[in-house]
Amino acid sequence: MRRVLLIAVLLAASATWFLYPRPYDWGLSEHDPVPEVPANNPMSAAKVELGRHLFYDTRLSINGSFSCASCHIQSLGFTDGRARSVGATGQVHPRNAMSLINSAFASRLTWANSLTASLEDQALTPLFGDDPIEMGLGGREDALTRLFTEDPAYARMFKEAFPDQHRPGTVINMVRAISAFTRSIVSFRSPYDAYLAGDPSAISESAQRGEALFFSERFECFHCHGGFNFTDSTTHRDARVERFGYHNTGLYNLGNTGAYPADNPGLIDITGQRRDMGKFRAPTLRNVAVTAPYMHDGSIDTLDEVIDHYARGGRLIEKGPNAGDGNVSPFKSEFVRGFELADGEKEDLLAFLESLTDAAALTDPRWSSPWAEQTASGEGLDERSTSAEQAASLGSD
Amino acid sequence: MRRLLFLILIASFSACESTQRELSIPFVVQFNGEDLHCDSGLSLSMTDLRFFAYDIEFHDASGAAIAARLVRDGAWQSNKVGMVDLETGVGACDDGTAAVNDVIRVSISGDQQIDAFSGLAFTLGVPFDLNHDNPLKAAAPLDDSAMHWHWRSGYKFLRAGVETGNDGFWFHLGSTACRGTTGHISGCDHPNRVRVELTGFRPGRDRVVVDLGRLFAGIDLADGVRSDCSSGPTETACPPVLAALGLSGADGRMLEGVFSTQPLADKTAQ
Repeated sequence: MRRVLLIAVLLAASATWFLYPRPYDWGLSEHDPVPEVPANNPMSAAKVELGRHLFYDTRLSINGSFSCASCHIQSLGFTDGRARSVGATGQVHPRNAMSLINSAFASRLTWANSLTASLEDQALTPLFGDDPIEMGLGGREDALTRLFTEDPAYARMFKEAFPDQHRPGTVINMVRAISAFTRSIVSFRSPYDAYLAGDPSAISESAQRGEALFFSERFECFHCHGGFNFTDSTTHRDARVERFGYHNTGLYNLGNTGAYPADNPGLIDITGQRRDMGKFRAPTLRNVAVTAPYMHDGSIDTLDEVIDHYARGGRLIEKGPNAGDGNVSPFKSEFVRGFELADGEKEDLLAFLESLTDAAALTDPRWSSPWAEQTASGEGLDERSTSAEQAASLGSD
Repeated sequence: MRRLLFLILIASFSACESTQRELSIPFVVQFNGEDLHCDSGLSLSMTDLRFFAYDIEFHDASGAAIAARLVRDGAWQSNKVGMVDLETGVGACDDGTAAVNDVIRVSISGDQQIDAFSGLAFTLGVPFDLNHDNPLKAAAPLDDSAMHWHWRSGYKFLRAGVETGNDGFWFHLGSTACRGTTGHISGCDHPNRVRVELTGFRPGRDRVVVDLGRLFAGIDLADGVRSDCSSGPTETACPPVLAALGLSGADGRMLEGVFSTQPLADKTAQ
């Protein structure tokens, strides 16, 4: 009798274990904020693992030469070191690649698109967009679906990531898995985090002085780069208010009209509002020391020069098509007023910014390529499906 | 008795069916009156021409509107929107697809005299509610990712382009200055849907000409500078094209000849 009872208890326990999904392990400490997750794309280890394979797979491009990781290189904070990114076909993007670390906490994605509020929506532009071509997957849905269903490794991983679906190898699930992987890249392991957690020796005295300058009303940095992710466009699971902001930092002032170069005017391109000329989202400053060059168009090479730009209160371009003094732009943020740098203050500020580098995140094997050796195979998905084929291949659920 | 009633019912349904008539509206692309191809081998080629149309109606002799319903085919047309694709995926159109659809198929009900029809109207674009739905879950023809416009939260209503030796221009039309976030768009300051009215169009005897020479009349295609327009408010190349569609400019009227009617028999307009 006792044995029967024991077996029954064990059975019930194991059923509970299988029936109730275990919460996803973000690898965060209990004090860290947790990302908000869309209801239709819950996190799971299997989905993140699938997403990691997709993220690093060059077959997901027009010519087999390119993956998400081509512009988002882990050792560079998931940026690419270029002023402006270059897509699979060599087309130059108007913008600088943004870091993906802690993008799970971004209330708006990309440099200047107030419409894009989720990683799932954002992923579609680099995957399918044609202006410029990044991955160049537009019209290749059928070939993608074939890869996901016919490749044994993918067939297995899609099944594990989407266990409730009869035919999981779909384009929409590809987008979900890549987004889940990107969302999983969360980390608060910089020296500054250790300092905040109570280790006074985690950052240098110079960096501590730089911290005070960063959060001072004299330097004003924190107004736009404040909060745990050092950007005012930040949200998390327990956030009560949605915050996002766009700012004109006086980088350009073409002909003293306040205009930015036509290929990169900022938020105005999305909203059509004149007041949004030259406004861009403040990026996170976590890992900023490894994400050069800087600004939305990569037009400043070093952090040293970035500080000069803010100290002057806007950039002066003396000649050429972009000539103008950003300092007097009518659209410039009230927080970019300029400041005098006393001896040693720039070094202190730089030391503080460098203390935001999360070395563990730059090498964390959870976010590294799962492919042993995948060089450009030249075998892209260079077949386009007809509209009717796409109808059959696109996921629906 | 019951069976008889049933048969009568069936018969009356089929009688209704018989008054449903299908009509095709053919489209052709030209450049200032000359047929335009992807691989013309001449100095001027088309690089793209794809667009959506909905809300189609004919006009009878008195000018009264007769609503036409799109015939759903699972590929080019749902019952809400149809897609025309005049690029062939070859030559200068190599970013496109081999699939071509040069007609919109509609049905009308009633016993009007089709021979007396003398006018066609349609809206270039995608209806608002469909335009901002999740494109990855959309039914054909809205599942065509070449027409998706993720960063603008909707669809490209029209994509058109031409190329000369060392010059070229392409144009993407769609709603801009939309409010909200993707999937939750409440409206757009510039919907950019275009109502096309073609007085005199005779179904079965005429075709619709889309003239890219007229659409791009305000673009210099010989200055050696390739340019483009994504319907953005600050894009320098946009104003003349948007004005040609009647979306901006002083009078808000479409430039004559961007869309026109031509007899089917007149295959090559010279």
